[in-house]
Amino acid sequence: MRKIVILIPAYNEESVIGEVLRDIQFAGYPNILVVDDGSADGTYQQAQQVEGVIALRHFINRGKGAAVKTGIEGAKMLDASVVVTMDGDGQHDPGDIDRMVKLVDDGYDVVLGTRVMDAATMPVWKILANKSGNFFTWLLYGLWVTDSQSGFRAFSRRAFESIETRTDRYEYDSEVIREISRHQLKFIEMPIAVRYTRYSQTKATRQTLKNGLKTLFKMFLNS
Amino acid sequence: MRLPLVNLVLVLVSALFLVNGAIKFFRREERQTFFKLLSYLAIWGSLMAFGLFPGLSRNISQLLGFGENLNTLIFFGFVVVFSALFKLVNSVERLERNVSEIVRREALEKLERIQERQNGHGC
Repeated sequence: MRKIVILIPAYNEESVIGEVLRDIQFAGYPNILVVDDGSADGTYQQAQQVEGVIALRHFINRGKGAAVKTGIEGAKMLDASVVVTMDGDGQHDPGDIDRMVKLVDDGYDVVLGTRVMDAATMPVWKILANKSGNFFTWLLYGLWVTDSQSGFRAFSRRAFESIETRTDRYEYDSEVIREISRHQLKFIEMPIAVRYTRYSQTKATRQTLKNGLKTLFKMFLNS
Repeated sequence: MRLPLVNLVLVLVSALFLVNGAIKFFRREERQTFFKLLSYLAIWGSLMAFGLFPGLSRNISQLLGFGENLNTLIFFGFVVVFSALFKLVNSVERLERNVSEIVRREALEKLERIQERQNGHGC
């Protein structure tokens, strides 16, 4: 029987992580793996309290890419056949998981959740940052996608076993695109609903301009 | 002596960094060493000197036998500095990856323990 593992990298999400995990369970996905990336708050403890959730912990902060990689290794140990990655701040709708898994069942190796770049639903600075990210991802890795920085993705077993990433932080998202191109994985982009809450817009760990430039520098360095 | 605006800016910026470096050292702030103070004095002090005395670079190049080619020397200096910086950044990246791998192994040990416990119960 196939096993779908929902993987959530989390950093300082104490106030929302419990609700996010329960929402996913409610959507019908009991196999959840949380990787707490060295949070300074009670994210790990909150995740542990949700029944059925496996919570792992980095003892120091290593970045989103490193946390996802740990989770992928964990999913392999759990003998997962599909891995779905989601952000821990509640911006992704668990209602979209069904469609993603269906696309993997239809034969796609990677399903990239694509946020609708519309000024009415997404802050303008975020749209610009995303478009720049897409451009540089295309320039460095040779594959054009409409949302290279989305964290909501589904991977078939073939995909998560062949993808090899080296970067630890936000540049990981673009590195996955490079790996799709390198291994000629069959991918599809799927529009997803995004909930921009006051929490996700004001949290200290969100992607900032400074971090964006750092990400770009590291992308050049690792390309 | 009238200094061109660019030299004036160079002198002011150098002075700012020199004073800042000296204050940090004498306050015994974290990671401030005597070597760092000397580096500050050498780098920002020479920039300040070049700003204050515009003819200095020509005198030095003539003294060293470069004639008017000091710019070439400075260019190669930049190339060397950037190469060293690139190597340094790469080493740091490699170290960071190793740290992540150690942290990852430690985190996954918990999952191994969970699986061992479950397999133990299954027997």
